Amino acid sequence: MLRLTNVSKIYRTAEVETLALNEISMEVRGGEFVAVMGPSGCGKSTLLNTLGLLDTPTSGSFEFFGQEVARRSERELTALRCERIGFVFQSFNLIDDLSVAENVEVALLYRKVPSGERRRRVAEALDAVGMGHRAKHRPQQLSGGQQQRVAVARALVSNPSLILADEPTGNLDTVNGEAVMAMLTAAAESGVTVVMVTHSLAHAAAAQRTIKLLDGRVVSETLLAA
Amino acid sequence: MFGNYLAASIRNLQRNGVYAALTVTGLAIGFASAILIGLYLRHELTYDQFIPGHERVFLVNQLITAPDKPQVDMDVSSAHLADDLKLEFPQIEYTARTAAGFPPTVRRGDVSVSELQFVWADPDFFKILPVPVVAGDAAHGLEAGDDVVLTRAAARRYFGRDAPIGGQLLVDGHAMRVTAVIEDLPSNTHLAGEVFGSSKATFSMLAMLDKAGYTSNSNQTYVRLKSGASAAAIDAQLHSFLDRRVVPQIRKIDPDWHGVRYAMRLKPLTSIHLQPSDGGGDPKPGADVKVLAGIGVIGVLIVVVAAINFVTLMTARASRRATEVGVRKALGAQRKDLIVQFMGEALIYVAVALVLAVALAELLLPAVNAALQRKMSFSYLTDPSLLLVMLGVTVATGLLAGFYPALVLSSFRPSSVLKGGPVAASGGGGVREILVVAQFAVLIALLLAAVTIYRQTNFGLKDATHTNKDGVMMLFASPCTETLRNEVLAVPGVRGAACGSPAAVGLSMSSDMTFRGPRKTMLMYAPVDFGFFQIYGIPPIAGRLPNPDRPGDDGARLKDTAPTILLNEAAVRALGFPSPQAAIGQQVIWHFNPTSSFTDMAQPTPPPRASEVIGVVPDFTFRSVRQKIDATFYYVGPRNDALNSVALSIKIDPVHRAETVKAIDRLWTKISAGMPLQQYFADQFLLRLYIDNVIQGGFIAVCALIAVSIACLGLFALSAYTAERRTREIGIRKAMGASSSEILRLLLWQFAKPVLWANLLALPLAWLAMDYWLKGFAYHVDLAPWTFVAAAGTGIVIAWATVFFHALRVARARPVGALRYE
Repeated sequence: MLRLTNVSKIYRTAEVETLALNEISMEVRGGEFVAVMGPSGCGKSTLLNTLGLLDTPTSGSFEFFGQEVARRSERELTALRCERIGFVFQSFNLIDDLSVAENVEVALLYRKVPSGERRRRVAEALDAVGMGHRAKHRPQQLSGGQQQRVAVARALVSNPSLILADEPTGNLDTVNGEAVMAMLTAAAESGVTVVMVTHSLAHAAAAQRTIKLLDGRVVSETLLAA
Repeated sequence: MFGNYLAASIRNLQRNGVYAALTVTGLAIGFASAILIGLYLRHELTYDQFIPGHERVFLVNQLITAPDKPQVDMDVSSAHLADDLKLEFPQIEYTARTAAGFPPTVRRGDVSVSELQFVWADPDFFKILPVPVVAGDAAHGLEAGDDVVLTRAAARRYFGRDAPIGGQLLVDGHAMRVTAVIEDLPSNTHLAGEVFGSSKATFSMLAMLDKAGYTSNSNQTYVRLKSGASAAAIDAQLHSFLDRRVVPQIRKIDPDWHGVRYAMRLKPLTSIHLQPSDGGGDPKPGADVKVLAGIGVIGVLIVVVAAINFVTLMTARASRRATEVGVRKALGAQRKDLIVQFMGEALIYVAVALVLAVALAELLLPAVNAALQRKMSFSYLTDPSLLLVMLGVTVATGLLAGFYPALVLSSFRPSSVLKGGPVAASGGGGVREILVVAQFAVLIALLLAAVTIYRQTNFGLKDATHTNKDGVMMLFASPCTETLRNEVLAVPGVRGAACGSPAAVGLSMSSDMTFRGPRKTMLMYAPVDFGFFQIYGIPPIAGRLPNPDRPGDDGARLKDTAPTILLNEAAVRALGFPSPQAAIGQQVIWHFNPTSSFTDMAQPTPPPRASEVIGVVPDFTFRSVRQKIDATFYYVGPRNDALNSVALSIKIDPVHRAETVKAIDRLWTKISAGMPLQQYFADQFLLRLYIDNVIQGGFIAVCALIAVSIACLGLFALSAYTAERRTREIGIRKAMGASSSEILRLLLWQFAKPVLWANLLALPLAWLAMDYWLKGFAYHVDLAPWTFVAAAGTGIVIAWATVFFHALRVARARPVGALRYE
């Protein structure tokens, strides 16, 4: 369902060209849980942004749920993102000015979900991550672990086909990290495709497959579970 | 979705309280100024529109062209014109005249005042101008010789009640009866007056003018056309009407009438204020459309400056909203969704600003009314058009000012924002810089305009008149007699006293055809008294001043010969003398009238008589320096009639000023037989001619101040933002060895740059605008280079003073803290 073929991404400034992805070819099947690992600057985040349609490849082909999307307009990519993807970020990226429930609701706003249904689904998603009692709080009033739970709820509330998680446990202590991993694993088990960038070998172990990147190339793939 | 946007907007506003307050305050001040300016412009553009049927009402405007003179138009005309027009043109329903002469003394019981608001009017006046009536029948209220109509304010002043119908007033000793009370006139009417006396009174100004007939030009003539009649058709026939009826009349009285050309037209009632006549005759000073346009432009500029502030502050702080934008985009928001959200947020800001602005405008309106001498109201709740315009301007400003920040904010790329990477606010910095330049350009130009108007007003009041009015008091007496003069001279502290004719002190104009050999010229003339020139510090350029010891100098003692005269420099040129010296001892022939009188202006032109030129004085004036100083001659005239002698100029010892003024007051009470005292210091008296300048200058100064304060708000916030954004850079520089003062210089230079650009933009534009404005004066100051340097310097000082606090704070911060910051 996600297929990259010879995808390169070059960042150009006036004087420097940076090759962030170098002729990458890979595939992620539906319902698969994939971990992406590698040292800083190896292209993990660029890969994730490309998979998440936040960035377009400089060259190569990207098939996203059966559609070629490498040359699509911003508007079309936004619509696809809206329909298919949920994000979880290392730094949570909750909107400070909105309450917990309102933050989760944002994921439904642009999908034109009616407000009654929005409220119901937001409540369910928050209950599922154990944050229902904090719905009216603001992000600053929560711990890091709690914030990331809310971010997971936001990613799940729209019933996405794909969850992209960029070091979701990077800013969390062990206990909270484990909790977030459990949520992502549960999502994968329910049929959602999960691609997660991580530095943690332990958390990568929760995935079915690990891809290692170095200097913009895939250097190894490890199949952990059948 | 709207609720979610609203929540984000309002909480963002709360979280950034100080910045939000600065943004909203700037906008509110801008809007409040725009509201007040708008009210003023509306007031000026709607003169006399409250009068029912105003589109059928006209004032006769005369165009007079004397030989070798530019055409002059006057809103006054001859006393007989009204009746002749009515006879000639069947399309005319009513005609009526008004005249405000020397203020009569009005007395009721203990109240006795010199009624400055007294107007004489013909019986049909209130049929032509049917103003709202409080009591009685104004339309027929001026038919008898003892009828008087009051405004509500005048009724209260004299009678202490609103409807004193039948009440009696003594006007110059004659009993008159109140027939009607009208509502107080609004300030947007050209009409001036609170007490309207019937022209049928035998002692009325109009009755006197009736005797002068076509030689007078001292009353307004109003015309109301019948329904459906065309003013253009009457205009087209006025030329032949003049030739047939008016010119023969003038020739009959004045056979020596030398080719002065007359024309006439009907001026619509609602144009009187906006097209004031250059030759005078309007009951109130008119408006200058160009100045109104300038004020309108300033109003727009202030809103632009406030809107720029808004744009600057919103984009400068845009990076704070980057996460929100990134998340919303990642979760599927299209760019247009975000543009809608941020434009909506801009509308919230402007809506809050509008509410504050309305409150501010209501608070300031009484002061503005007092300063502009207007009675404007701000009744937005009962005036849907006003409300609509206000909302329209607000929404337009919100949309225009909100668009760019929305564009910048919605352009953030989620891939870099969400990783916590640097936020590239696309183009924000450059545009912001340009906007700051524009703001400062506006305020520098306004500063320069205010300074130039101030200089010109001062020049018009002092240097340009070529008189020294310091410590000179003018006392009006009708007439100013030798007895009065001598008694005042005897008061301790009085250094000099001399009578002057209305023409001498700029209250009226008299002209005569003069001859020097075969050369004839129309010259103005003004009777004065011995000592008049000395009091105002006017030295002779050539020859000498009049001397009481020489009988030939005193026109009061001559009957069949004319007194000696003094020329001003313009008259020397007009008569063709090669130099002032060359004129001395020469003969000039004119029509000296030893018995001219205010009460008998219809005397035939006296025979030509020769006068010797004894002196030449510089061109001086008691009028506005908008007009060129007329070629004029002066002579010592009779002092037994107000036409020749009305103003006693008194030079007072500055050391004993207060006691001397009091002593003169006491003297007046003793000798005036109850006549109210009218006295002014000469410089204040002249100020009345420049009141519009003073208002304009003050107005522009206030606007400049507002623009400065709004721009400072913006710059203050911008400097705070820059300081915050550059903390890391400055930390690195300091770690590399930069001192605090070097950093301070760096930051101050950064803020000086846009101001320097602003100067480049503003100074040439302001130069052009003020040069154009000054050309409206016959005598004006030159644009002084120092004012440009000062305006430019002030701009920089203001900018530095505003940013200094933040710059200093950042410059003095310890680098270790700065580096840890990010």
